[in-house]
Amino acid sequence: MEQTEVLKQINDIFIDILDIDNLVITTETTANDIDEWDSLTHIQIVVAMEKKFKIRFTTAEIQGWKNVGEMVNTIIAKNK
Amino acid sequence: MSNFINDIYNKIEVLSPLHAKKLKKNIAEFDDLYYERANNFMLKYNKYLKTNNKTIDYAIDCYLKMIADVTTETIEFIYTDKYTSSTFDEVNKRVYANPETMEYYMHGLLLSQFLWKHHYQIYDYYINTLPKYSDKVTNYLEIGAGHGLYLSKALEILDKNTVFSVVDISQTSIDLAKNFIEDSRINFNLSNIFDFKKENCYDFISMGEVLEHVEDPLKLLLKLNSLLTVDGTVFITTPTNAPAIDHIFLFRNVKEIQELITQSGFEISSEKYFLSEDVSPEKAEKHKISIMYGAFLKKSKN
Ligand SMILES: C[S@@+](CC[C@H](N)C(=O)[O-])C[C@H]1O[C@@H](n2cnc3c(N)ncnc32)[C@H](O)[C@@H]1O
Repeated sequence: MEQTEVLKQINDIFIDILDIDNLVITTETTANDIDEWDSLTHIQIVVAMEKKFKIRFTTAEIQGWKNVGEMVNTIIAKNK
Repeated sequence: MSNFINDIYNKIEVLSPLHAKKLKKNIAEFDDLYYERANNFMLKYNKYLKTNNKTIDYAIDCYLKMIADVTTETIEFIYTDKYTSSTFDEVNKRVYANPETMEYYMHGLLLSQFLWKHHYQIYDYYINTLPKYSDKVTNYLEIGAGHGLYLSKALEILDKNTVFSVVDISQTSIDLAKNFIEDSRINFNLSNIFDFKKENCYDFISMGEVLEHVEDPLKLLLKLNSLLTVDGTVFITTPTNAPAIDHIFLFRNVKEIQELITQSGFEISSEKYFLSEDVSPEKAEKHKISIMYGAFLKKSKN
């Protein structure tokens, strides 16, 4: 899967869970940029991504991502 | 006073920014009394750590290990709608009788009493209400005292002639509580509460966060009832929807807890409950956000 395609799908998940209609995320986006993205909503985002891409993440992955780009990369790697 | 508790938040922020953000949001409304109490606790806890050749970084590491467990368990819970453990033997092996896990878990849990909104709120309820009973209590029992924070407060609040007893199944918990509190008035019993033989009845029994750790919580409340004097008081706390490595019995809502209390021959003298996250009631319902329930109980008259 393409990076842009994954990013678009994650963006929809972020919009849904964080309740921010016009949110646009990029690979550079970090939690510092979005007030609503904290460890509570992170878990909800993680599970939504797992369901959408039919994958499971490890605890290390879930706690390790520094920005959206790293999330996208993990998803692409797991979908190979 | 230097701000020990803010130092903790700042250190957590470096190691786990997403988590620190949530913690800070949840306690944003807390008043000066919170900071005063939290800093006093940190003074005492720092002293314990120093005496036992440990550092505050060790404690934070413990806390974050516990958070990693909670995260894993929460994700499983979202998928299965169940706690991962279903038997006492399983949990005993995995946690209580496993010093390595129990050690980080109890230190993590101790810090969470001030870092988690709902933990602090229920603790606040306890120490604000307990003085009402101070002239009536002569014989105090705490079941599953764990780290010993509640017990340490009971020792401060209740009459100095009160006899204090603890039953806990974990040697790790007993060692931690003993060294954290340092008070020779407490009789510690290493035992499963179901195997605990009473020598006499207690006029106050405190049991924080144990009800969800057993297979049959009704049986546990009946046991408490049998240990209590006729006019005695019980304080219990238990959470709904709280996946953790040692939780067995899943309470789905507060009503289920209240019904169990009534069923076991108690009536509620006072109760409070708090959402674990600062979210709207709709979100809480949708995402099964945990609620911490606490109540003072007495034997029902009929
Ligand atoms: C989650 S901790 C609660 C600590 C503290 N009371 C609090 O509210 O934060 C549970 C404690 O209960 C103890 N415990 C669990 N099951 C028990 C049982 N069946 N009998 C006695 N102690 C038990 C554990 O060893 C642990 O110390």
